[in-house]
Amino acid sequence: MAGINEYIILACILFGLGVIGFLTRRNALILFMSVELMLNSINLMLVTFSASRADMGGQVMVLFIFAVAAAEVAVGLAILICLFKHMKSVDINKFDLLKW
Amino acid sequence: MEIGDTMDYYFLLFAIMAVGAGIFTITVRDALPSALGLLTVFIALAALYLHLNAPLIAIFQVSIYAGAILVLVVFVIMLLITPDEELESRQKNISYRTLGAILGVYLSVLLVIGIKGIDQIIVQKGLPDGFGHPSLIGTLFFKKYILHFEMASVLLLVALIAAIYLAKKKNI
Repeated sequence: MAGINEYIILACILFGLGVIGFLTRRNALILFMSVELMLNSINLMLVTFSASRADMGGQVMVLFIFAVAAAEVAVGLAILICLFKHMKSVDINKFDLLKW
Repeated sequence: MEIGDTMDYYFLLFAIMAVGAGIFTITVRDALPSALGLLTVFIALAALYLHLNAPLIAIFQVSIYAGAILVLVVFVIMLLITPDEELESRQKNISYRTLGAILGVYLSVLLVIGIKGIDQIIVQKGLPDGFGHPSLIGTLFFKKYILHFEMASVLLLVALIAAIYLAKKKNI
C-alpha cells in the first residue's frame, strides 16, 4: 500500500542521491543536475503533503519552485559558460582562484 | 490516508524507476548519459504526480523540466564538452569521495527517520471534489497568491537579463 510514508521515503532517497552526487562529482554540469534532482525531490514532497492535507497551496508552491528552478538554470548555465571561457574546463577542482 | 490502495504496483514501478535513474545520473561518467538519467527521473516523477491528484503539476513537470530546462542543460553540455578534452569527471581524492557518499547516506537516513510516522500527526481528510483541477489552481493563483505570482515574474525577468548579460561576448 503506497501511503504517504512511502512517498516521503522516496523523496528522501532522491534528495540523498542529489547530495551524494553533489559531493562526489567534479564535473560542474553533473553538479548542476544533482541540484535539479534535489529540487525535484522537494517538489515530490510538497505534492505529497498537498494531497495528504487536501490543501492545494502545496501545488501552487511547486509551480513557484518551477519558476525559481528555471531562473536558477538560466543564470547558472550562463555563469558556467563564462567560467568555461576563462578556464577552458568544467572541472570544479580547477576553479581554485579564490582558494586560500 | 489512501492515496492509492489499489495502484500499488504503479507506485512501485515508478519509484524504482526514479531511484534507479537517479543512481545512474550520479554515477555515470559522462555528462550526456547523466542528463538522460535525469530525464528518466523527471518522467517517473511526473507519473507519480498523476498518482497524487496533481495533473497540472505532472504536465508542467514534463513540459518545463523535461522539455525546457533539460534541453538547455543538454545544449550547454554540447557547447562546453569538446571531444578532445580528457575530462576526469570523478573526484580523484578517494577520501573526499567516500566522505561525500557517507554524508549523503547519513543525511538521507536522518531525513527518513525524522519524517517517519508523520502521517499520524497530519490531519487526514478525504480529498474534496475536483482536487488538483487546473481551474482551481488558477483561481488560487490569481486570488490568494497574486503577489507571489508577480514576484515570480519579476524574478524571471531579472534572471533573463542576468543570463543575457553574463553570456554576452564583449564583457569577458
